[in-house]
Amino acid sequence: MAEDYILKVENLHKTFTSKKISVRAVTDVSFNIKKGETIGIVGESGCGKTTLGRCIVRGIEATEGKVIYKSLHGKEYDFLNIDKKTMKNIRKEIQMIFQDPYSSLNPRMTVLDIIKEPLRANFPKMSKNEMEERVKDIAAKVGLNTSYLMRYPHAFSGGQRQRVGIARALVLKPQIIVCDEAVSALDVSIQAQVINLLRDLQKEMQLTYIFISHDLSVVEHISDKVGVMYLGKMVEFANTEEMFKRPMHPYTEALLSAVPVADPSIKIERIALDGEIPNPANPPSGCYFHERCRYCISKCRTDVPEQEEISPGRFVACHRAKELDLRGFEYEE
Amino acid sequence: MESVTAINKKEHILEVKDFKVNIRTDEGIITAVRGIDFNIKKGETLGLVGESGCGKSLTSKAILGINEKICESLGNIFFDSNDYGLIDLVSLNPKGKDIRNIRGKEISMIFQEPMVSFSPMYTIGNQINECTRLHITKDKAKSKEISLEMMRKVGIANVEKRYNQYPHEFSGGMLQRALIAMALVCRPKLLLADEPTTALDVTIQAQILELMKELQRELGMSILFITHDLGTVAGMCDRVAVMYLGKIVEIAPVEEIYQNPKHPYTKGLIGSVHKIGNKKEERLFSIEGTVPLAMNLPPGCGFYERCEDRIEGLCNRAEVDLVSIGNEHEVSCFACDHEACKAFRAKVEAELDGNIGGN
Repeated sequence: MAEDYILKVENLHKTFTSKKISVRAVTDVSFNIKKGETIGIVGESGCGKTTLGRCIVRGIEATEGKVIYKSLHGKEYDFLNIDKKTMKNIRKEIQMIFQDPYSSLNPRMTVLDIIKEPLRANFPKMSKNEMEERVKDIAAKVGLNTSYLMRYPHAFSGGQRQRVGIARALVLKPQIIVCDEAVSALDVSIQAQVINLLRDLQKEMQLTYIFISHDLSVVEHISDKVGVMYLGKMVEFANTEEMFKRPMHPYTEALLSAVPVADPSIKIERIALDGEIPNPANPPSGCYFHERCRYCISKCRTDVPEQEEISPGRFVACHRAKELDLRGFEYEE
Repeated sequence: MESVTAINKKEHILEVKDFKVNIRTDEGIITAVRGIDFNIKKGETLGLVGESGCGKSLTSKAILGINEKICESLGNIFFDSNDYGLIDLVSLNPKGKDIRNIRGKEISMIFQEPMVSFSPMYTIGNQINECTRLHITKDKAKSKEISLEMMRKVGIANVEKRYNQYPHEFSGGMLQRALIAMALVCRPKLLLADEPTTALDVTIQAQILELMKELQRELGMSILFITHDLGTVAGMCDRVAVMYLGKIVEIAPVEEIYQNPKHPYTKGLIGSVHKIGNKKEERLFSIEGTVPLAMNLPPGCGFYERCEDRIEGLCNRAEVDLVSIGNEHEVSCFACDHEACKAFRAKVEAELDGNIGGN
């Protein structure tokens, strides 16, 4: 069903321009998200994954394209093309969790005030008691001790602070949450706690996540679908398991092979990518990946590959997607 | 210096014995490293794993004597030096001539952030050269030749041009390569790598780790590999020491630690990493709670509060120690079911009871 979505991104572009150069940070990205799903966005630093996330919540204005959101009542809004007042109303339903729990909380506000602020901004008429009730509710849900709410962020550990960040995003009862590297700054044991929490909350509140991360094993664990970005383009988009079992874009294959596996008995053959991500201000001709691709043919140097739907829900932008047989992970049955 | 003879000179390049670090703060003294023992064999890679604040970086910096002034090192770190023979690094004056002869020449270090490890004011070549001029040769042309050769070795293309460039002209991955070149230019016997790939992307990380292994084979050096990432440890290290709250809780060969972890903390760490391809796993295993503050620690095992196997009345009263359970595997836990641990536990329990009787 094509209409069964909560968020639809269509041909999204973002170009940053300065006096001398313009950089295409996001080029022609399209995908759909169903309600209750988690979409993982992966890629190396500088590939535009954060920019994409920010364009979706309209933290920065996209240059071109559509972000269509279907609200609870079934009404559709194009985020990039609505007036300020409606946007303010809609924004309650789409929130963001940030990477660094140390710099995303104001050190001079108590945790109670931090979690309360979105309510104050969006529901100015709500009574003080009601607000505090809601804050306490949410705090308990994310596993924060409610007796600590009058403390300041510095008194909390990294994992606790990230819970504050999550509570702040949840207090408005959003539909969609954009998690930008939400667990990357945390230690492994704390990371597992926060990931479990995010999954529990998703089930309980039917949340939809856009999970941006460079950590492929975390993304594989949490996402239903994954989009791989390279130099501002989405080179592959598919169901998580399908993609990890059998990637169809050479870049995805290389990325998967580079994942360190926490088991010394497994020796995987790494596909060494030569060189580094090209400068986005001066991208290569043809397929952006062709200089580093080991399957490159002459067509790749000249023609830009279009995103193709190889099988239902599976998009790849590669000239040779159909003929290549690429290696992924083996799944335990 | 009698105990110096204790080092097994043939096998070990570094021996750390009952090593502690005290940090003086306004609130009092924090013992951040609380008595650790380990050694590094010639040519091996030892992984030092733990979460932030467990003291792994303090330990590595103490080896070179580059901790902040407020940190005080106690205990012994014996190093098998070419120029000095066996030497206790802790006893050396951190500003003295001796340690400065060892630093960068026999032991060198790679840091986590390549961007802050270089001075932005000097060219890359100049900074790599500093080390060779100090330790190998005063001859400028020769020194440059040595630096260029090492830059080539770490896979920097176009070295003549790169030599005269500044750090901001390098990408993160290239800068990390340059940092490795700087660390290895004097062909050290021991390399301390403090989270060398944490700041890098996965594809670049794979390149750098491969490079480090290659250079290790070629130069025959030992590596102390400090990280919190259990994935890279599995592919890099021969042995692994797991640290928690300033103590080593388990040390074993790498296969052993992944297949047969004994300490509850090690089990938790390995369990909380998701394995790609494991569909059944709905929830990740997570260790409850957080690392306690290192101030005013209660007696007993530091992991007591978060441990699932804790034994009340024992773990929170008596100090545990590393017990060897064969196959180079040592673990510090009363709840471990190995015979050697049980014997140790019985002994400690007898002592505890004896104390109560005595009082």
